[in-house]
Amino acid sequence: MTRTPLTAAIALTLGGLAFAGTAQAQQDDKLYLFNWTEYMDPEIIEAFETKYDVEVVQSYFNSLPEMTAKLNAGGTSQYDIIVPSSYYVPRLVQSGLVQELDKSKIPNLDNLMPEFADPTYDPGSAYSVPYQWGVSGIVYDTETFPDAPKSWSLLFDPEVTGDQPFSLMGDGQVSMGAACAYLGTGYDCADPEAWKAAARLLLDTKHRNTFSGFTDGTPTLQQIQRGVIRAGVTYNGDYLQQKQQNPEAFETLAFMVPDEGSEMWVDTMMIPAEAPHPALAHEFINFILNARIGAQLSNYIYYASPNQAAVPELDAVLTQPPVLPTDEDRAKLAFTPSLDGQNLQIFQQLWTEIQSR
Amino acid sequence: MAQPPYPPARQRRTLSPDTRHLLWSVAPGVVWIVIFLVLPSLYLIGVAFMTNGPYGQPQMPLSLESFRQLAGFGFLGWSPGNLYTLLRSLWQTVIATGLVILIAYPLAYHISISPRQWRAIMLLAVVVPSWTNQVIRAFGWMNLLSPGTPLSQVAQFFGLIGPNMGLYPSNFAVTLGLIYNFLPFMVLPLYAAFEKLDAGLIEAARDLYASPVRAFWHAVFPQTLSGLLAGTVLVSIPAFGMYVVPELLGGGRAMMLGSLVAGQFSGGSNWPLGAAGALIMLLATLGGLYAMRKVGRRLGGGEEVVI
Amino acid sequence: MKRTPFTRGLSVFWWLMIAFLYLPLGVIVLYSFNSANSAAFFAGFSLRWYERLLGNDQLLTALGNTLALGVASSVIALVIGTLIGYGMYRHRGRKLGWLVALIYLPIVMPDIVFGISEMAFFITMDREFGILGPSLATMIIAHVTFQIPFVALIVYSRFVGLDPTLFEAAKDLYASPAQRARHFLLPTLKPSLIAAFFLAFTLSIDDFVISFFTAGPENATLPIYIWGAIRRGVSPEINAIATLMILTVAIAAVISLLFNKEGRRS
Repeated sequence: MTRTPLTAAIALTLGGLAFAGTAQAQQDDKLYLFNWTEYMDPEIIEAFETKYDVEVVQSYFNSLPEMTAKLNAGGTSQYDIIVPSSYYVPRLVQSGLVQELDKSKIPNLDNLMPEFADPTYDPGSAYSVPYQWGVSGIVYDTETFPDAPKSWSLLFDPEVTGDQPFSLMGDGQVSMGAACAYLGTGYDCADPEAWKAAARLLLDTKHRNTFSGFTDGTPTLQQIQRGVIRAGVTYNGDYLQQKQQNPEAFETLAFMVPDEGSEMWVDTMMIPAEAPHPALAHEFINFILNARIGAQLSNYIYYASPNQAAVPELDAVLTQPPVLPTDEDRAKLAFTPSLDGQNLQIFQQLWTEIQSR
Repeated sequence: MAQPPYPPARQRRTLSPDTRHLLWSVAPGVVWIVIFLVLPSLYLIGVAFMTNGPYGQPQMPLSLESFRQLAGFGFLGWSPGNLYTLLRSLWQTVIATGLVILIAYPLAYHISISPRQWRAIMLLAVVVPSWTNQVIRAFGWMNLLSPGTPLSQVAQFFGLIGPNMGLYPSNFAVTLGLIYNFLPFMVLPLYAAFEKLDAGLIEAARDLYASPVRAFWHAVFPQTLSGLLAGTVLVSIPAFGMYVVPELLGGGRAMMLGSLVAGQFSGGSNWPLGAAGALIMLLATLGGLYAMRKVGRRLGGGEEVVI
Repeated sequence: MKRTPFTRGLSVFWWLMIAFLYLPLGVIVLYSFNSANSAAFFAGFSLRWYERLLGNDQLLTALGNTLALGVASSVIALVIGTLIGYGMYRHRGRKLGWLVALIYLPIVMPDIVFGISEMAFFITMDREFGILGPSLATMIIAHVTFQIPFVALIVYSRFVGLDPTLFEAAKDLYASPAQRARHFLLPTLKPSLIAAFFLAFTLSIDDFVISFFTAGPENATLPIYIWGAIRRGVSPEINAIATLMILTVAIAAVISLLFNKEGRRS
């Protein structure tokens, strides 16, 4: 055993390890899709794979902070398509995690409804294309709450919740917005004073004995089915999709949009900055915007479509509440504000504070 | 390369064969640990003194801002949230370690007075659950403590928790999870101490002192102190930095330092603040080790705390 | 041993604590066969959750990652750690305090600080120099880092247990260091090398926190997969995976018991 080969071997191992991470060649014909859980029709994936003779690799996230964390941990070069919500779009653009779209490769952009073509969160749709849109609201057990008010008070007023376990949304901005709405400063509050009042309410609520936790939208539906909670915050389409899959468990579970106002969100398709297959990613976006595919997608996941051309082929259930809120409800909905700079930091501090105390 | 800590004694151009031998045998490991642990730790300490960028990435200039924030001074004045987290971590560590000691003493003693052929099996029985992954162990308690389970119903019956509620998520569940995780770490060193103990000594002490408490305190406790110290190090240090148990069993009410630190990185929100928190944990750990060692030296007759 | 109320009390306490230690694991196993999706009641025996596991590609990938990570890191750690253990023994007359301190560092550092400092380091290296981007490789690196000390300590303690004159004899018997290594060192060390490998492997499989923070976005190991599944709230399947992992541990426990008996007989 001489020292040279050994040192060389170790140097090789070290070097090999160091570069293995980056050397993972991905010139294969694959599309890496990073999406919310339960948010895609498998048949659409199959259709895309057949049409373009590629393989689609799907992975999932439950919340936007989780998605951002994965992007920061090298995900920008491992995914071709991500599906963030509207209020994260400016943040992703400004921190350079996504790339500008080549609109000449997405002719189906013309299919979009006019109100989605030039959104405030992404002027000129330079970086993002709407995927689906939906509403956050309260899911609750009608046996436990036969006379539930159409209001956030079901969660925030101890008199109304009584001794029933409940949860709030894991995404801090949604929970904060809900508290603002309940306090009368509007779901889309972005003013530190309003936040402070909302934070105090959230803290009081959190310390109530029947508070079960800050839970993301899709897991909330699992928990309410299992009886861990009797009321919580979730999304209209997920609620409906799981209800169709599991009608028995959902017999007594209802969904409502609180009258004080709530969140309307648009989930968008974006391409990470160093996506391995940007050309294919553009094809995929164009594919989803196809009228028939757009309708098939909404029909499967029970969310409202931003696609004008798809409207004629949408199932009846998608043209009525809870998927399409009534005009009255829709007037009360607002986008979650997109935060940056000092406002973002103030918000983060308040949210950490709520979690710590 | 790490510098050998001894200066070349004589003027020599090359190292002695002996030194070369030492170097080639330990060099790969030393280089590995320096590159992949010492360097990252130093980098993290550096990050703690940097400024938070607009989207949570560390930036120049250097500042103490993150420590100010950790102490609770934010944009909106002082608030005690982080202090709560710190105190909660300390409190959970102290409570869990204390309870683990109380449980582990009789267990270790029981094993040490059992028939010799059973002892290895009994030790194994205590240790085996800790071989399963800690995520699975925490999940087991989630199963047991959810609303509607027998344990939760018993607790409801005695009015310990409200109707319709479960024992999880709660601070109680976190304490329980910590005890469950770390019990074997205390039983093993205590057993080792008991085994060295003369069995006759305990008998004699029980004859000598009227109460078992006094017998324990005067005869047994001093003899097992080294094991106790080793166990305390093994339990309290990882308990203080625990991440999985409070995240899964605490349900947002029992945030501990580990979650505070992790949250600053995983949400991409504030690296410098997270790094400052990590630095505090590191200092607490080293301080704890140092203190134990000092105490151990003075009481345990210079016996090294073996990990 | 006299049966006194005291020892009887001890015995009762012992069995209570054994129940405490095994209850959570037992419940996982029990509910993995539950036909209902509930933690509150057992509705009847069913294998439906296991059937679901079989068709789960992500899970199989996670299993593959776990094994690849465990084997690769243990092998590297075995080589590096053995060298350190050997060096420490051969030169135990010298002042090696710095080395001991360095080796204890990975052991005493809290998992979360360990994981996060490596994550921050890897991400920054990736951003600045395009190397060490979080992936399976960075996970292996991190695992090797915490395995090295355990291997080194096991090997070192084996050497200390040997009769020093054996080394002299070997020196007389075999001329070259290579021969000595092959005919004397390796055979003598074999049992402790095997033990060290398995300890390193177990540490790797058991780790969650460090893997969680150093993994690339698509390198889930079984514990990471389970963590994600718990977060998503899909419990019955987790019971089934966890049961399989508990079974593995139970088998390991039986094997180690047999080895233990074997060891004492010889």
